Amino acid sequence: MVKFLSEEWIDISKKYILEKLDPEQDLKNITTSLLNVVEHVPPNDTSMNFYLGFQDGKLTDFIVNTGDTFEEKEAIFIIRGNYGTFKGILKGEMSMAVALLKNRLKLKGSKMKALKLIKPLDGVIASLREITDEYEE
Amino acid sequence: MTLKDVVSMEKITLDDAAAIAKKGTHCGMCKIDFLGTGLCPSGKKHGFIAYWPQGRMEIVKALASGRVKPTEKLIEIANSCSFCGICDRQCNFATQLRPEKVAKALKEYVDNLDKSDFQSVLEDDVLRELRGIVGEEWATNDPIIISSYIRTIIHPDSELNFYIVMPKNAEEISKVIKFANKHNMPFMPRSGGTLLTCATPTVLSKAFCLERGIIIDLFRLKKLEIHPESCTATVGAGITAFELQKAAYEHKLRAHLAEAGAHVCANIASTGITSTWQNRYGWAADNYVDVEIVDDEGDIKNHSDMDIKNPYTTERGFTDITLTPPGIITESIVKLHPVFDDEDVVLVPFDNLKDALSMVMKLAKRDVGLSLVILSRKYLTEFLCPTPQIAKDFEYILKNYMKLNYVVDVICNKDDKKIVEEMADYTIDKNLMKSLLLGSPRLASLKDSEFLKILSEEEDPLKAIFAGPMRKHLEKGLDASPEQIAQVFDEDLRDFFKKAYSKPEMSDIIWLHAFRILPSRLMRQRLFFAQAGMIWADDEDKILKLIDMLAEVCDKYKLEHSLGFISPMDDGKYAFFEYDYFYDHNDPDATKRVSQALIETTEKCLLMGDILMVLNYLFKGLYRKEHVLYPKPKAISKEEQELFRELIESILGEELKW
Repeated sequence: MVKFLSEEWIDISKKYILEKLDPEQDLKNITTSLLNVVEHVPPNDTSMNFYLGFQDGKLTDFIVNTGDTFEEKEAIFIIRGNYGTFKGILKGEMSMAVALLKNRLKLKGSKMKALKLIKPLDGVIASLREITDEYEE
Repeated sequence: MTLKDVVSMEKITLDDAAAIAKKGTHCGMCKIDFLGTGLCPSGKKHGFIAYWPQGRMEIVKALASGRVKPTEKLIEIANSCSFCGICDRQCNFATQLRPEKVAKALKEYVDNLDKSDFQSVLEDDVLRELRGIVGEEWATNDPIIISSYIRTIIHPDSELNFYIVMPKNAEEISKVIKFANKHNMPFMPRSGGTLLTCATPTVLSKAFCLERGIIIDLFRLKKLEIHPESCTATVGAGITAFELQKAAYEHKLRAHLAEAGAHVCANIASTGITSTWQNRYGWAADNYVDVEIVDDEGDIKNHSDMDIKNPYTTERGFTDITLTPPGIITESIVKLHPVFDDEDVVLVPFDNLKDALSMVMKLAKRDVGLSLVILSRKYLTEFLCPTPQIAKDFEYILKNYMKLNYVVDVICNKDDKKIVEEMADYTIDKNLMKSLLLGSPRLASLKDSEFLKILSEEEDPLKAIFAGPMRKHLEKGLDASPEQIAQVFDEDLRDFFKKAYSKPEMSDIIWLHAFRILPSRLMRQRLFFAQAGMIWADDEDKILKLIDMLAEVCDKYKLEHSLGFISPMDDGKYAFFEYDYFYDHNDPDATKRVSQALIETTEKCLLMGDILMVLNYLFKGLYRKEHVLYPKPKAISKEEQELFRELIESILGEELKW
């Protein structure tokens, strides 16, 4: 059982993305960074952040922390949404694009540029889906 | 024994009732008192859709398909119908359906069930807290009540794991949203539900509907105040277009509104009120003075607040698609406009779109007319005719005998009327329109008559019928009267419709344009827009090419289709167009073809440029129209076309064959 946002989840996710996703084919050689701010994390209604950095399609950073701020790295895109929305995306109940268009995820950064990342990010999300099977209720 | 008794004794099974219910259009006309019948007493009392005729039909469908099991609440719902017959009159006017038969079948079904057949639904922690916010009777998790919201906010295949709340004001909505966020529950407001009704059978369904969580039904926000001194009205989110117009007319004022059953606040947020009056009254933020909004965090804001971020602007570009309103408008202060004493109506018939377009754009640029639009033959006949068959025959006559394919339809003052009449060889006036409306069954019955054959042999049949000696014969032959049109309704409803059509407003073309009770008839055949949007109007040939393209795509997918209307806006710089499919929404194959055609036309419009399509202006009605319409949308590049395809596939969750 790997719990979303746990230490174990970070380790396995990193390994999985590096091993299973091809930088060119799956990740289209993207160079970008994305900070996901997960709000209303149960049971204590806290916020957590997970940061993903890619250089030429290779995962360079995968950082998770707790709190309202994230100062380790500056991200090109910041996506903010509640725990339930991220859970729904990881479980495949809703695509990231639909979550953005339905305003469930709020984007800071260019929407046009962010949507160009949809395909490669769909691959990342599919990977995370493979390994995540436990969530806070 | 009277006929009414016979009808009331007629028994139908739940499956028969479900067959009627499947034809239900969710047009919401049973929730407005447009015929002076009063409203469904149980719906008015309980509020939830389940207690309205529309909801009972949805429940019967869900029960008949086994989608939902009877609950104890079902007994109350079935027994709440007093069989007063109001819904039959209202629904028959718009769609020829008899919802009371469905209600009777439901009651009989419930009466025949054993006590043990009803499951009891327990109050869980979430419901307890929601009831703490809105009150015991205004929150529910009952699957029967939830099932009545299918197709107007819930996807037909979705599980019924929802809560429905009916808050009474912005403060309660704020609390519900804060509660939902804290518990990671999605939420969505519901007003009339008519917009989602159109989208739910199609490819947009999953993207639009709420997948689980809390439905915030805005029915109880019924504040309505007219301020004649400032020509404004304060309108709560539960007020329909019809209700506002009725109140405004009492002060000789007119609101700019969508279809009668649409809710004013929701319509401002969704499509920004598009109508035939928009060249004069404006679009989007032109229509309101202020709004009260509860945002996604549950904070209550007003546009007039000094410290809020600019609320009138939006991102631009083809990827700027929004599938949800920017907060819940709980109250709006809308602009009202004077109703002039010398208002009149004049219609100019055309056999071709090019000439009609040329005239309407000339009028728009000179700011002629209060309401200004090109109506297609299809729309004209559906509006005028009380049944689909009469509409079909009427349309056949217009097409094959009269060569009337479009009308430029103008509501204006006397001075403007002169301008229109000077530009046209012949026109249709208010009295002839009244005759065509009340005499539509008679005209339709002339389908293969000698009179029409002679007419069709004229060099210019339109001139002969509207400006020549044949006009007198036509008017005489139509024998237009409330008695005549009432004959097309079911026998037990004829007296009622004779009285209804005797009311002056029911054949007053200006009133009908302002109150918009007739567009609900377009849902008799399920309508969905092949494409709707705004096109830069400087190049009339481009508009014609657009219409040709939409027709070609519809033909390719074997869909019945027609231009609906073209109405200028922004002083004739833009033209709003609606091009529609008509299909059976219960046919999965037709639905699939509608979806494919919608995607294809969207892409083709993007490649043409100068068009702001429905996907790009949806939920942008709060913004300034200048920020939405300008700069003009450019044609997309090849690279952007790829991005569009990726975006659509991601929204749909499947790879498409392009």
